[in-house]
This record gives sequence, structure tokens and C-alpha cells, in this order.
Amino acid sequence: MAESDAPPGWSYNPSTWGQRLPIVGLALVGFLIAGYLALYQWGIFSGVWEPFFGDGSRVILNSSISRILPIPDAALGALGYLADAVTGVIGRRGRWRTMPWIVILFGLAVGPLGAVSILLVILQPVLFGEFCTLCLASAVISVAMIGPAMDEFLASLQWVKRERARGRSAWRVFWGLDDERRGAPRTAAQG
Amino acid sequence: MWARIANAVLGIWLMAAPAVLGYGGAARTNDRIVGPIAAAFATIAIWEVTRSVRFVNVALGGWLLLAPWILGHAPAATVNSLVVGALLIGFALVRGTVEQRFGGGWSALLPSHTVPEEHPAGGEPR
Repeated sequence: MAESDAPPGWSYNPSTWGQRLPIVGLALVGFLIAGYLALYQWGIFSGVWEPFFGDGSRVILNSSISRILPIPDAALGALGYLADAVTGVIGRRGRWRTMPWIVILFGLAVGPLGAVSILLVILQPVLFGEFCTLCLASAVISVAMIGPAMDEFLASLQWVKRERARGRSAWRVFWGLDDERRGAPRTAAQG
Repeated sequence: MWARIANAVLGIWLMAAPAVLGYGGAARTNDRIVGPIAAAFATIAIWEVTRSVRFVNVALGGWLLLAPWILGHAPAATVNSLVVGALLIGFALVRGTVEQRFGGGWSALLPSHTVPEEHPAGGEPR
């Protein structure tokens, strides 16, 4: 079924719902975890769940690094997960070709979130000598989203480059404008 | 798949090792930095389209083989660093199965390459 709308030279279509929904699901779980931690950092919850590291979560979530920005770092993480979920769910199964802008935005949202998560995982023990269970769980989720999101990202970048090489405006291809083959598989149009 | 899981476990072990084996100083800080990075790249390399990032753990493993002499590790930290470094390199060199095709992969985006219409054979996207 996926054969006909796979990108040229690809063995599968990276934009099907089966490909995207697991990532969106991970993003929503990450949003719930980060949202919970942000509510603690805002003082709405007086305590935070920490099964393994004693005072670890309290120390980490009240550290100087966590308050370096105007909003707590977990709130920023929750916004990042929300951006991942929204950009993951917009568009249909041909979106690698019809909406490169949203696919590329999706890839750009997923990558840095994972990078910042790993940075925070490093800073926790190195600067404060503590770990925070839910922060680690959030980092695992954000890193697990990177691999499965990158195939679609690659397909859209290849598409923009290929169409540009054919003389179309990269700008218009990026925004999915005037695609005369919209709705028709590219490979079928070649004959 | 197993090689990526093994390296992710090794990365997590590096985070815990200073507490378990009881070493501190520069060795502890080093392992708490290298561990999460190794685990993250091993995890990302599970997927075929990003399999190439497995080579990051060759570099990190190489650093772990040198670090005991540069940072002055204690004996337990030295043994751990050498064993984990060697294993990281070994597992990172395992390519694993790549069954899907990715239209020339990441290298097709380079200015010197053209994006092919059809990619002749399967292969790790680079």
C-alpha cells in the first residue's frame, strides 16, 4: 500500500500514520511528564515523585540552571514536546512532498529537544551530584523520538533538492506550492 | 539492534559506575559526561536511517581508552574505562541489518551529489 507514495528511491513512505503516530504518542507522554515537572517548579505541586534518588529531583528542579530562563526549564520542555506533537500530526501521508515546511519544522523541533535533554542529563550529576528520575525519563523519550523522525526529514530535504535541480523554485517547493503532481505519485508521473 | 542496545546499556553503566565502583575526581566527571552521550547516539542509531551515528561511539570509545592516562584515573576507574571503551568500539563497528532504501541517504544532500530517482541497492544511509 505504501509502495506507490514512497519517495523516489525509497522502499517505504516515511509519512504514513503508522510511521508518525508512535512519535506523536511519545511526544504526548513527554508533554505530560514535563508538564508535571513544570507544575512542581511553579509551586502548584508541593512535592515531586522521586522513587530512586532521594532528594535528587528536588535539588535538580530547584537548581540555578533550571531557573536560568524566564520560565522553568521543564515548562520549556513541555512546549517543545507540544511542538513535536503538533508538527507530527499536521498533514497527510504525502506530506514529505506536499508540505516539506512542516516536516522540516518537525525535524528541527525534535532534534534540539533531544540535544538539550542530554545536556541536562549531563549537568545534573556533574554540577549538582544528583539525578532526577522523571528528568531522565523525559530525556529517554526525547532521544527515542529523533531516529524515527529523521527519515521523513531526509525525504523532504531530498525532495526540495531534487525539484530545485529540475529548475523549480526551492522556496515554492518548500511551502508545497504549485505542485502539479499533487495527489499523484511522482514515480507514476515519470512513466 | 543488539549492538545498539548493548552500547546504550554501556552508556547508562558509565553514568552509574562512579557510584557503584566508588571512584571520583576527573574520572567520575568524565564518565558522567561520556555515558549519556554514548547512550543517546546508540539509541538514535537503532533506526536504519540514522544508523551511521553509531560511529560516534567509536570516537567516544577511543577517548575512554586514552582518558585514564590523560586524566589520571584510579585503578578501578582505569579498568572500567578500558573495558567499556573497547566494548563501545566493538559494538559500534557492528553495522547490523539495513533493509530499507532511503533514496541515496544523507549524502545525497551534499552539493556534490545529486538525489537519485532510484537507488540501486539497499545500504546504510550515509
